[in-house]
Amino acid sequence: MKYVILIHSNPDPWGHPTSAYTAEGRAIPKERHEEMDRQFEALLTELSASGEFVTAEALGDPASSTIYAWSPEGSFATDGPYAEAKEQLAGFFLIDCQSRERAEEIAAQFAGPGSTVELRPAMWSGGEDQ
Amino acid sequence: MTGDVTAPVGARQLEQLWRDCAPTVLAALTRRYGDFDTAEDALQEALLAAAQQWPAEGLPADPTAWLITVASRRLVDQWRSDHARAEREQLVTSRTPPAEFLAPAADSTIAADTVDSANAVDDSVALLLLCCHPALPRPAQVALTLRAIGGLSTAQIARAFLVPEPTMAQRISRAKAKLRQAGARFSAPPAHELPDRVAAVAQVLYLIFTEGHTSTAGASLYDVSLTDEAIRLTRQLHRHLPDAGEVSGLLALMLLTDARRAARISADGALVPLAEQDRALWDQARIREGVGLIEAALPAGPVGPYQLQAAISAVHAEAARAEDTDWAQIEALYRMLERLAPSPILTLNHAVAVAMLDGPAAGLRMLEPLLNDPRLRRFHRLYAVRAHLLELAGHGEQAQASYATAARLATSIPEQRYLNAAAARAPITR
Repeated sequence: MKYVILIHSNPDPWGHPTSAYTAEGRAIPKERHEEMDRQFEALLTELSASGEFVTAEALGDPASSTIYAWSPEGSFATDGPYAEAKEQLAGFFLIDCQSRERAEEIAAQFAGPGSTVELRPAMWSGGEDQ
Repeated sequence: MTGDVTAPVGARQLEQLWRDCAPTVLAALTRRYGDFDTAEDALQEALLAAAQQWPAEGLPADPTAWLITVASRRLVDQWRSDHARAEREQLVTSRTPPAEFLAPAADSTIAADTVDSANAVDDSVALLLLCCHPALPRPAQVALTLRAIGGLSTAQIARAFLVPEPTMAQRISRAKAKLRQAGARFSAPPAHELPDRVAAVAQVLYLIFTEGHTSTAGASLYDVSLTDEAIRLTRQLHRHLPDAGEVSGLLALMLLTDARRAARISADGALVPLAEQDRALWDQARIREGVGLIEAALPAGPVGPYQLQAAISAVHAEAARAEDTDWAQIEALYRMLERLAPSPILTLNHAVAVAMLDGPAAGLRMLEPLLNDPRLRRFHRLYAVRAHLLELAGHGEQAQASYATAARLATSIPEQRYLNAAAARAPITR
């Protein structure tokens, strides 16, 4: 089953890894950051080796986004980001794992200082005729 | 050798032919050169060459030998650039007729029509065991099996599993590297390991099958049917191990499930539940074959989970109408299955059989403890089944609420659509 891990964060200035640019992240000593980086690197290596890693993208500054809205007269565009959103989508990982439990185990390790991680199943086009 | 050709044949027929030859060729190369990793790369290149040359120039008289020769040349070319000893290797290769790379067959002749010989099947099974090596994670076993034994390209496998091609390529190359690290050998494992290793192969084949069967996109959108591929490979395994009851059970289960293929998707692409399927569309030849297999395997014993699942499928297949289903027999089979391999999902299926036999209230009683089982907390089918039984029992409003919960939890679009529609329907109160 495929799951997306959505990283919501509000780094200032916008940058990756987000943990280096959030207020919470800046409050953490350098050694702790290095340790967290090592752990994360190990996790990604594990996910690649197991075949569970599918793809990932870091996203650009929300200021660079364009928002399209629909109206009966046609769609219209405005410059992003969504004003009402405090935390922005900073990036995502797509993983493919055997069970929800496994996906939860993986996603829990993505939480970082100043970012919230959301795990959502990807909908698929199939089904079982039971 | 390539001069002796027959008339050109269809592209599909060609692909079928070279994929039948592929395991024999790979086994021959691995046995000869001792390196599964590079042999597999060379085979892929030879298959690519065959895809280009055979349609244009016609079929070689002996496709297996042709592929071995071409793949050997690739291997040697690689060595020539890699090692100083390449020249010696090439000399050996060029003086060895391709047939001698193969393990000696009973009649010592290797031709296209002997690809199905017991020897070739031996090779396929040895390769299956290697690809499903316990050192590899499941997705890697699946990918390697499809490429090395199925002869599918990385691109085809990636499309079938809806992952990007580089992801699949990496999965395969890591799997091969891991096999090398683990010192996995191309030879039959010790007898005491064989049952576990065959069980692992069966699980991989079943996973390939369900991936193909449950994906509506499968057959129509892509050039590979994982369902057909799984059946083809399981047939090979069964041919080699005709007395392995669980392999017979697995093949029967696949055939009986696949027999419903035409009936499980409606014209507008919606999923049709078993009870509502047009049984005239069921493939009777597949059903006969599946029922035959399971009837032969069950009395031989010992009975395993695949055999019992196949038996349940056979009972469904033998009912001309949904209301003719022999639920007593299905219920008994689920009871046996639960004793053998208990799981909450099995209890859920068992509850359906109990409900059909003793009424919805009895089924609902069985579901009650499952509602508190953390393993099923997000499993939509528990709520879908419960909703259906509540509806049958005349609890319309509760049924609606349960359908809505099921729809929220569903992660398949056709199922979610079906459940949302059920939740929106006016409650039937009796």
